[in-house]
Amino acid sequence: MLAITAIKIGLEIHCQLTHLQSKLFCPCYSDYRGKTANTNVCPICYGLPGTLPLLNQRAIESAGMISLALGCQIPQNLVFYRKNYFYPDLPKNFQLTQYNAYGITSIGVNGKLYYYGDDVDGGTGKVRSKSARIRRVQIEEDPGRLVYENGNMDTSFYTLIDYNRAGICLVEIVTEPDFTDPKDVRIFLNKITSIIEHLEVCNTNLEGAVRCDVNVSIDSGKRVEIKNIGSFKEVEKAITYEIARQKTMSLHNIEVKSETRHWDDARKVTKQPRTKEEEQDYRYFPEPDIPTVILGNEFVSLIKTKIPELPDARKTRFITYYNLSEHVSQVLIDNKDLADLFESAVKIYSHSPKEIANWIVTDLVGSINDANAKRKHELNEGSGNKVGGGQEEKEEAGRSGSLLSELKIGSKHIAELAKLVDQNIINRSTAKSILSRIVNTGEMPSQVIEKTDTTKINDKKVISEAVESIFNSEKSAVKDAKQNPNAANFLLGKVMQLTKGRADPGITLNLIKAKLDIK
Amino acid sequence: MVFAKDDIKHLGWLSRIELTDKELEKFTSQIEEIIGYMNKLDTIPLFEIDEGQIGLQKKFSELRRDFANPFNCDTLNSSNNRKKEGFVKGPRMV
Amino acid sequence: MQSLLHLNAQQVRQGIKNGYFSAQEYISQILERIQKVDDKINAFITVDNDGALRQASLIDKKVRSGEKIGTLAGVAVSIKDNICTQGLKTTCASKLLKEYVPPYDATVVNRLKNSDAIIVGKANLDEFAMGSTTEFSRYGPTCNPWNINYVVGGSSGGSAASVAALECTVSLGSDTGGSIRCPASFCSVVGFKPTYGLISRFGLISYANSLEQIGPIGKTVLDVRMVMDAIAGIDENDPTTIATAISYAEEEEQGEEQHLQNNDKNKKNIRVGLIKELVEGSEPVISKCIYSAMDIFTKSGCKCEEISIRSVDYALASYYTIAMAEASSNLARFDNIRYGFDFDPDGYEWNTYFAKVRSNFGDEVKRRIIIGSYVLSSGYYGKYYLKAQKVRAMLKHELKSLFKKYDILIAPTMPVLPFTCGEKIEDPLKVYLIDIDTVIANLTGIPAISIPAGFSNGLPMGLQIMADELQEQTLFNTALLFEKIANIKTEYPELC
Repeated sequence: MLAITAIKIGLEIHCQLTHLQSKLFCPCYSDYRGKTANTNVCPICYGLPGTLPLLNQRAIESAGMISLALGCQIPQNLVFYRKNYFYPDLPKNFQLTQYNAYGITSIGVNGKLYYYGDDVDGGTGKVRSKSARIRRVQIEEDPGRLVYENGNMDTSFYTLIDYNRAGICLVEIVTEPDFTDPKDVRIFLNKITSIIEHLEVCNTNLEGAVRCDVNVSIDSGKRVEIKNIGSFKEVEKAITYEIARQKTMSLHNIEVKSETRHWDDARKVTKQPRTKEEEQDYRYFPEPDIPTVILGNEFVSLIKTKIPELPDARKTRFITYYNLSEHVSQVLIDNKDLADLFESAVKIYSHSPKEIANWIVTDLVGSINDANAKRKHELNEGSGNKVGGGQEEKEEAGRSGSLLSELKIGSKHIAELAKLVDQNIINRSTAKSILSRIVNTGEMPSQVIEKTDTTKINDKKVISEAVESIFNSEKSAVKDAKQNPNAANFLLGKVMQLTKGRADPGITLNLIKAKLDIK
Repeated sequence: MVFAKDDIKHLGWLSRIELTDKELEKFTSQIEEIIGYMNKLDTIPLFEIDEGQIGLQKKFSELRRDFANPFNCDTLNSSNNRKKEGFVKGPRMV
Repeated sequence: MQSLLHLNAQQVRQGIKNGYFSAQEYISQILERIQKVDDKINAFITVDNDGALRQASLIDKKVRSGEKIGTLAGVAVSIKDNICTQGLKTTCASKLLKEYVPPYDATVVNRLKNSDAIIVGKANLDEFAMGSTTEFSRYGPTCNPWNINYVVGGSSGGSAASVAALECTVSLGSDTGGSIRCPASFCSVVGFKPTYGLISRFGLISYANSLEQIGPIGKTVLDVRMVMDAIAGIDENDPTTIATAISYAEEEEQGEEQHLQNNDKNKKNIRVGLIKELVEGSEPVISKCIYSAMDIFTKSGCKCEEISIRSVDYALASYYTIAMAEASSNLARFDNIRYGFDFDPDGYEWNTYFAKVRSNFGDEVKRRIIIGSYVLSSGYYGKYYLKAQKVRAMLKHELKSLFKKYDILIAPTMPVLPFTCGEKIEDPLKVYLIDIDTVIANLTGIPAISIPAGFSNGLPMGLQIMADELQEQTLFNTALLFEKIANIKTEYPELC
């Protein structure tokens, strides 16, 4: 008998506010990546005795923006709490964070985010609109980083600690366990990423800038927390595995324990962590050195003026104003870099936004994927089986947004290309080959045309000469064509080859057909 | 409120303090007595206190502006000679 | 050259400014005195001979070249060893910081240096400022200069003793539950705890952050006020600092006479409240002393009345709950990973290492951390910590109404005379109970000062004066008034 499993999935997303200049509680640089260990620290974030936390105003502002964008309510007052526990990466052996058990004092509560699921409603034929409730949004500090000499925690005699990251500002977003399908989680995370990018509070392409832990339970069983998921892409896999694991256990009548498990990226399984994580009593209490922050009513008004256009609004605008399709608009807003590229290209050449959008969404994204794959191969990360299907490719494009900078072209290239096609100066296949060339060279399309003379040939006389030449060299094909009209396409192909793609295909085919009749 | 030695031992662990048997012996009764005194708090007739009256307050506009001002880490690092390539050396994790 | 050791801060600065003696001459006498007597009383953990002499010669240079000198030029200061001094070992009288040399100066130290004060060394204290007798120092107790068999008070025992023993002109201590006022009372010197937030805590190694303040100790009220003026004021490194410094600069220029004339004008308006519960809870000889103090105020024209504070009974329980809770968290950072003492982690698992490192805390610190963890633990937050904070709010509320009717409140500083060393050390709760008079000021954040009020069988007693938040001016005026009239002449102990 088939039982339908009731699945509950909740998320805990951590997002670094990478756009801040300084850390959350001290004026150290917020940009710590790539620096020699322990050179981006100060007495405050290093945990020296006698130091006091200096709260960053802009961090509150940015976190407030995230709160509002997720539909949360912002309280009148903010309080910071100490979460007390011992760990070598924690300089003070407590983490400064927020806590709502004694009163709502974190930056946001009770929000909701709508998103479109993958599945289509059988009745209406439309994509299903779903939502997830946001339980709370809170501000907290990142700990330092532990490193092992031979890369292995188990065999190292000691641990190496780097505090450069200690004190970096994190915004934690906790959802209610409203998800029932790992695919929905993936879509949701894409949307969160898009929102964060549009708010310009975090560059999600930086390694470790966004992390996600999940809670999974089936059939009202115990909840299992999964940590250590390296990237958003791995989240769906981790959840899928865990659901299968719990289902299997349930089938064998083994009770699922409430525990924390780690995602093993190499083996693609969840497992118990190496160090036993004890039941923790965090002994929360308000941080006496940080006075309660009075936000007042003006805070929300201030934040509202600072929030830029959010993805959903932008998508609507693309559809209604530029007349783009829903699908194309979605791909653009899924990655802010692409949407920005589109709009600046349209500013340059405004006659055909659809043309520009298509070039970005199909060919450019393809080039980015190629570059991404090449880069990955070079980094020896394995080729990665690219599971077919549009969604994953779009994601790939999305997450590779930063590689736009690796490609040598920008909005003026795209604008010019679209213009040339739109004005019939080159045909589509020529344009495609120009694009694949210029992403690596950075030349303007017009420059390429000049160098290689790729303008469209519409002159019948010129095309006739080419057709004549092909008819002379492909005598057997001509014979076939007389019997089988479809073989004319072969001859068309040859003429296109000869004219390096420049001949107008319509005119060429007519001339070929006419010549076939004549002969 | 009666404390057993094990309670004190657990609290010691929570605070990462290793306690000898002698200390456990001595501390248990002392701590019991002190916490007994603190239970005085239960006897207060409290009138309603607005939570907002507790603690200091600061306006959002008075918070530190987001400017970076790096510290000369050489002075920090020189006070600790247990380093390896810039990393601080700590005990093993397992 | 005659002895300069009895000079107060004002006189030291004047003397150097007018060329009566040089800073080097003065500091040399100070350093010599420390050498002579500190073996007996152990007020210092670290003495910085070289640094002090270097500073002194710089000041002399300034004087010779006619440059302007700071308000505390040449004044010898001892700094309680829980306040960070750059390049100078800061131990908090603990084994855990045996080798800790801070890479930065506390704001108060910075401001002292800018005023040309000379730091002669770090003063002894109860470990991490937890105690009332300085017997919990891991570097040996400090003895009372008036009678070395008696306790000096605490936790700023070294600070008060160094002033009373003429080892320095003034000292900086810290006061969490009476830690400045208690030793000041036991040593017959003046000790002052400012309004919470008036003096920056940046560089003060935290014991209980919502309760503690740094404050000056000196032989006279004016000395204490002078130091306060130099170090008080808002600090961007301490987000809990609130007001700008209260300045008496104009009055100083006028001289003491003019100042007391101003006092005469004001004193008829001073309304004094004597806290009944605290006087009644003291040893008889102390109660008598405080009633005499009240007489002095009455005779000089002040309006005096006995008043009652209902919440006094709960103040102590509230104080210790909050202090220990905060302490348990503030001291968590001492794991010897980034700083501390020589103990290689090689071969240890991290939990074991931390626990072993921290087993080096003294008994009192261990007790307080454990109790602090307990009161914050799951399920107990509401019963202890939250309730204690509510008591605090209640007390504050009660005092606010009292200060509408009275300008100052007086009480004994300590309910007991100094007792013999070792007498109470086995019974922690007994020691806590002697804080009953002083914790009120910490819980509510109001300023409080202890001034010498007499002796009983050679043992000092102190009068405590409290004023409303930020009413330091009223507080100092009253203290000056009492100091002048009571005229507790003091022949400081020879000791050698």
